[in-house]
Amino acid sequence: MYRYDEFDHAFVAARVSQFRDQVERRLSGDISEEAFKPLRLMNGVYLQLHAYMLRVAVPYGTLNSRQMRKLGHIARIYDRGYGHFTTRQNIQFNWPALSDIPAILEELAEVEMHAIQTSGNCIRNVTADHFAGAAADEVADPRPYAEILRQWSSVHPEFSYLPRKFKIAVTAAERDRAAIQVHDIGLQLKKDAQGRLGFAVWIGGGQGRTPLLAKKIKDFLPEADLLSYVTAIMRVYNLHGRRDNKFKARIKILVHETGVEKLTQEIDAEWAQLKDGALKLPEADVAAINAYFAPPELAPRAEGWGELAAWQKSDSGFASWVGRNVAPHRHPDYAMVTISLKPIGGIPGDASADQMDAVARLAQEFGHDQIRVTHEQNLVLPHVALADLEPLYRALLTDGLATANAGLITDIIACPGLDYCALANARSIPVAQEISNRFADPARQADIGDLKIKISGCINACGHHHVGHIGILGVEKKGEELYQISLGGSGDENASIGQITGRGFGPDQITDAIETIVATYLANRTGADEPFIDCYRRIGADPFKAALYGSEAQAA
Amino acid sequence: MTVIWTQTGIVENDPWTQPSAEDGPKLLPLAEALEHAQDNAPFGVVLQPADDVRALAPVLDRLILVALTFPAFSDGRAFSQAMLLRERLGYKAELRAVGTVLLDQIPLMLRTGFDSFAVEHAPTIQRLIDKRLPGIDLHYQPAADAAAQTPGYSWRRTALLNG
Ligand code: HEM
Ligand code: SF4
Repeated sequence: MYRYDEFDHAFVAARVSQFRDQVERRLSGDISEEAFKPLRLMNGVYLQLHAYMLRVAVPYGTLNSRQMRKLGHIARIYDRGYGHFTTRQNIQFNWPALSDIPAILEELAEVEMHAIQTSGNCIRNVTADHFAGAAADEVADPRPYAEILRQWSSVHPEFSYLPRKFKIAVTAAERDRAAIQVHDIGLQLKKDAQGRLGFAVWIGGGQGRTPLLAKKIKDFLPEADLLSYVTAIMRVYNLHGRRDNKFKARIKILVHETGVEKLTQEIDAEWAQLKDGALKLPEADVAAINAYFAPPELAPRAEGWGELAAWQKSDSGFASWVGRNVAPHRHPDYAMVTISLKPIGGIPGDASADQMDAVARLAQEFGHDQIRVTHEQNLVLPHVALADLEPLYRALLTDGLATANAGLITDIIACPGLDYCALANARSIPVAQEISNRFADPARQADIGDLKIKISGCINACGHHHVGHIGILGVEKKGEELYQISLGGSGDENASIGQITGRGFGPDQITDAIETIVATYLANRTGADEPFIDCYRRIGADPFKAALYGSEAQAA
Repeated sequence: MTVIWTQTGIVENDPWTQPSAEDGPKLLPLAEALEHAQDNAPFGVVLQPADDVRALAPVLDRLILVALTFPAFSDGRAFSQAMLLRERLGYKAELRAVGTVLLDQIPLMLRTGFDSFAVEHAPTIQRLIDKRLPGIDLHYQPAADAAAQTPGYSWRRTALLNG
């Protein structure tokens, strides 16, 4: 993974002292809260319902064990013993004291981490495929490009006061695990006919109150032009994005209102002027950044094949964990392991300080010191030998980290909701917990198969409900919490926005409604090999609506 | 009270902000500036964020001041306008930030090519006089300032902000 050099260390140290100075000026009254707000946001500090919240960047979701241990330490010393992994591959601490934050930032800097641009109307932490560097289907590792974008966007003088926040995601496989079509810029690393690397470029995706899928504006951008082209997009957006209404300020609205063709022309015209300038990426620089991401030396471990089969036969719990949470690696003797942060009845994405320590230790012992955070709020050990899966599983079991539910109905994404968030209309976490408890039976989950439930506590859609196979949105009606359901959303390469089923359900009805939807799916699927989303796309919303509202509609 | 600051200090008797600047150079909005280009005297122009700076191309060599407006500190359009003026149009004369000009934005303004600042906020003025700007000397991107390329990645630059 990328390692800071002297320049990076000095930069982060300077950023910490800059923030310390800003906090002092705020405390002395030299700056108003209004002027301070964007400054603290640009350093990941939110003011929430009960306390300040600190969001720490995990660039493209990649961590080593030393960094994970530091996060555990921060959770233990400065928070209440927990951290919360988010859908943007970051980690959030919900209870730090404002006065401790400069000290936390200094601790983070020791392990080459920071909170820069995890919030605010600037270019946010760049996200990437969590299987990057290990997946069999990628054309190249996308993270070096995410790293180049991270560096280039850090304290960007022109793009720190954009109309609204700006999110970039990078993937390198046809199978999109980074949800690039719901980002402001989505980049898909690919090869042209001559085998040269470049990007398909998408712009204008986003969720929030106006969910829109991104439009492809370039089929192949040579890698050397990455920064000049992104600069052209940013400049056009900075100058022309709407600033009169914050709900219409994302680039998706500019794309929508200007029209993708006209906007693409403007971007291309700007790019023509920038293309051969200082932003052109020299091959040597791209190679140097790539070298940091060289895969670990993976020794042959063919003995794992036989062992794995034997273990699976003798332990059904292990077998179902392998079936759900272990994915093929590009090296046949290795696997990518998902560590579920969705224990039955737990808070999605939460990890205790002890669990963070355990993951750090296991990554060192079995995982070549590499850890990933997924946008589905789980962790991944990307390079584990098949021969090590059994001891890894045993160790995860003792720390409550072996839930075998990756991709299943209890692998729920939920935003913080009314339990923490000042903007929430409704609670998200208790809804996730109740659904998880209701569907706890592993056999039942396995029978239902792949199903993504995503829950947001308000229309801002932090919980990605628009792209959930089943999306749940908390709304407020006459002082009551109500949950609206949408069906058929998807955040992958076949991205789609879910359709609302009808009127919402109360907190005591929502889990029953999910049961009804699941039962309707089970009754209608062609067989166990037709997953929920395929079945929904085949039969449409009507059978589900009839099941949800039918009898009552007749009674009325 | 508005004070004009440049990197050499507070400007005394700034011709553009004198109340009795009757016969001094004129500071005009974009539309008038384009008309004014008919006569010969050098002049200044003050742009709003929605103005297209490229319209100034024909009158550029007659301009001795361009003022770009920050209606609020959160409105960052003038950063892009400044980049276009400096990098695209090659404008060399004074580039002034007016409107809501706050301490924490000034380092970014310097990088995008501003070289004079109309400041009202008293604590900000004091920090400027003390030459204690709250910026960072290391940069991850080329911009319109005189920052030097450093050894290593092509996109890195350094400059001494308070030097
Ligand atoms: C608790 C404090 C939080 C606040 C106040 C907050 C605020 C917001 C707001 C206002 C938006 C809508 C922005 C827009 O549409 O322009 C948004 C969107 C979003 N937030 Fe949060 N958020 C919070 C926590 C989180 C967390 C914990 C995550 C990750 C789990 C997250 C991830 C996202 C994502 C993915 C979006 C959708 C992005 C899009 O519109 O494309 N947020 N958030
Ligand atoms: S979706 Fe709404 S309730 Fe949930 S975290 Fe985002 S802003 Fe808060």
